[in-house]
Amino acid sequence: MTTRTRYFVIASLLVLTVGVGTGLVAYYVGFPTSAFTTEGGTQELRYVPRDAAVVAFANVQEIMTSDLRQRIKAAVPIPENGQQEFASQTGINIETDIDRVVGCLQPSRGTAMPGAGLVVATGRFDVGKIESLMREHGAQVETYRDRRLIVGTPQMMHGDRASTAPDTTPTDVAHSSFAVAFLKPGVIAVGSTPLVRGAIDQDATGGDNITMNDEVMTQVKAVDSGNNAWAIGRFDALQTHAHLPPAVASQIPPITWFSIGTHINGGVRGTLTAQTRDVDSANNLRDVVRGFLGLAKMQAGSKPEVQAMIQSLAVEGTGNAVTLSFMVPAQVFDAAASRRGLDDRQRRH
Amino acid sequence: MNVAAPVARAPRTEPTVVASAARVFDLSLGQMLWSRRSVFLAILLGGPVLLAFVVRVLSAATRFGPMQINGARVGGPAVFGMMIWLLYIRFIVPVLGVFYGTSLIADEVDDKTITYLFTRPIPRRAVLLGKYFAYVACTVLLVLPSVMLVFFLVVPSGGGSIGEGFPSLMKDFGMLAVGLLAYGAVFAFAGARLKRPLVMGLVFAFGWEPGVMLLPGYLKRLTVAYYLQALVTHQMPQDSAVSMIMQVFHEVPSVFVSLVSLAVIIAVALWAAGRAVEGREYVLDQ
Repeated sequence: MTTRTRYFVIASLLVLTVGVGTGLVAYYVGFPTSAFTTEGGTQELRYVPRDAAVVAFANVQEIMTSDLRQRIKAAVPIPENGQQEFASQTGINIETDIDRVVGCLQPSRGTAMPGAGLVVATGRFDVGKIESLMREHGAQVETYRDRRLIVGTPQMMHGDRASTAPDTTPTDVAHSSFAVAFLKPGVIAVGSTPLVRGAIDQDATGGDNITMNDEVMTQVKAVDSGNNAWAIGRFDALQTHAHLPPAVASQIPPITWFSIGTHINGGVRGTLTAQTRDVDSANNLRDVVRGFLGLAKMQAGSKPEVQAMIQSLAVEGTGNAVTLSFMVPAQVFDAAASRRGLDDRQRRH
Repeated sequence: MNVAAPVARAPRTEPTVVASAARVFDLSLGQMLWSRRSVFLAILLGGPVLLAFVVRVLSAATRFGPMQINGARVGGPAVFGMMIWLLYIRFIVPVLGVFYGTSLIADEVDDKTITYLFTRPIPRRAVLLGKYFAYVACTVLLVLPSVMLVFFLVVPSGGGSIGEGFPSLMKDFGMLAVGLLAYGAVFAFAGARLKRPLVMGLVFAFGWEPGVMLLPGYLKRLTVAYYLQALVTHQMPQDSAVSMIMQVFHEVPSVFVSLVSLAVIIAVALWAAGRAVEGREYVLDQ
């Protein structure tokens, strides 16, 4: 065998060995696609507690730079007051500072307070500015596991430090207080203080989190593919905490999970999926949704601007799953924007 | 008068088939890799990698959104599956088998160098076996890295996961290697037995095989593709009317039956090719 041939064989075997090795690591360790791309949308899920009732994700940067937003912004100038107020309160500019956001809701456990929430955002944050702004509004800085935890209550932030209800327990206070922590450079956690502490624990020591909940992660994988915003929730858990009247609760279909995934770019397309307790319930729900769709399609005949959107609605799904897919083309937003412009001109005349 | 005692000479032994085949393999691998045919091979295998690169760039340009084919959203794994079906199974593997398999003996005849090999004290079938294994090594060492690169370029786009797709890649490697072995053996026999093996090989690979796959009945069992396609883990693409018809008549034998059948095809074809080489008188045109 000549040297040239030997080099070729070695190079070829090297490519195969490296490829198979990488694949094996990916298979057993399960590193995400983001190891090869810059997407990495859901790495922050590990800060979410295992028993969260709702989990949501948004690729803020992608949505902010989407064609759809640019078109809407050009057609209907959105007042900047809200964003400015948020920036002045927190030092965070939603438009430019945040890349991705993962949020969750956890049902309350035996307290009178509503469920706790957590938002983990990645982006570019001015730590000093955020901390000084929050301190100005009465928040206090604590140290937890060598991290600075900025803790406040809604009352403090609104300058109403003495308005705590007399029957509030210390647990309720802990649940009602919210905290901000910088988990690592470019990653901020905002939310209910126990959940933010939990996120710090996760970052420091690891442990049980939602990525170890196979039931949720199966749904996450299904909804994460190709979407830049999604939410998944345990419908039964939310229904239990909604304290609905029995007459209303009995009319709600027996849905266990729901998920919504959307991709926002030129338009909005997405799917809304509900998992029911059994196949019969799913069939009933499909029939109900189809009925509503038929009605909507009849009504849309006289409104050409929404006709494309209504025509895109389709009910799918097998077994326990009922899926409603939809697509809102950019033309619908263009038509709405031009109609609004027309109304404004008519009002001025 | 002193008469020198006769020197006892060890009896001259003919090298074994395996040792001879190994020597021919060593010589032939370099010849195959650095021949003019290698340019064709590079284009053939570089094409899918280039295409995968384009797919990756386009996917990145659309901010990692899913790729769309005929308006339908497809993820990276689905695109990879389509590439395996359309490029590798239906085209590259049969083409490599035809061009390399038929030339194992035919090239030596055309170059009038077969005499140099056949006048060596080695079994003739060892020449064929050595060249056959050189073909297998050459094609496997080129096809598998090409598939590997395509996999890593295409699968992560559109929400695919390398970890999830890896077992399927390993099965693809096995399936492609078996395909190269089977097609190579069949066309090695054609090259050793027939007068115009290349034409007959092309007719078999791109006429007979796709033709009978469209028909109901037992004829498809006389193809390599029938057994090879049963080993493919990806869904058969419905890219054309022909594919749709193939889908309708798509009978899938079990993996065990396919593997046994392919092993039988390889063994019988190599045995028959060896017999043909041993028995045939190659007349070289002057």
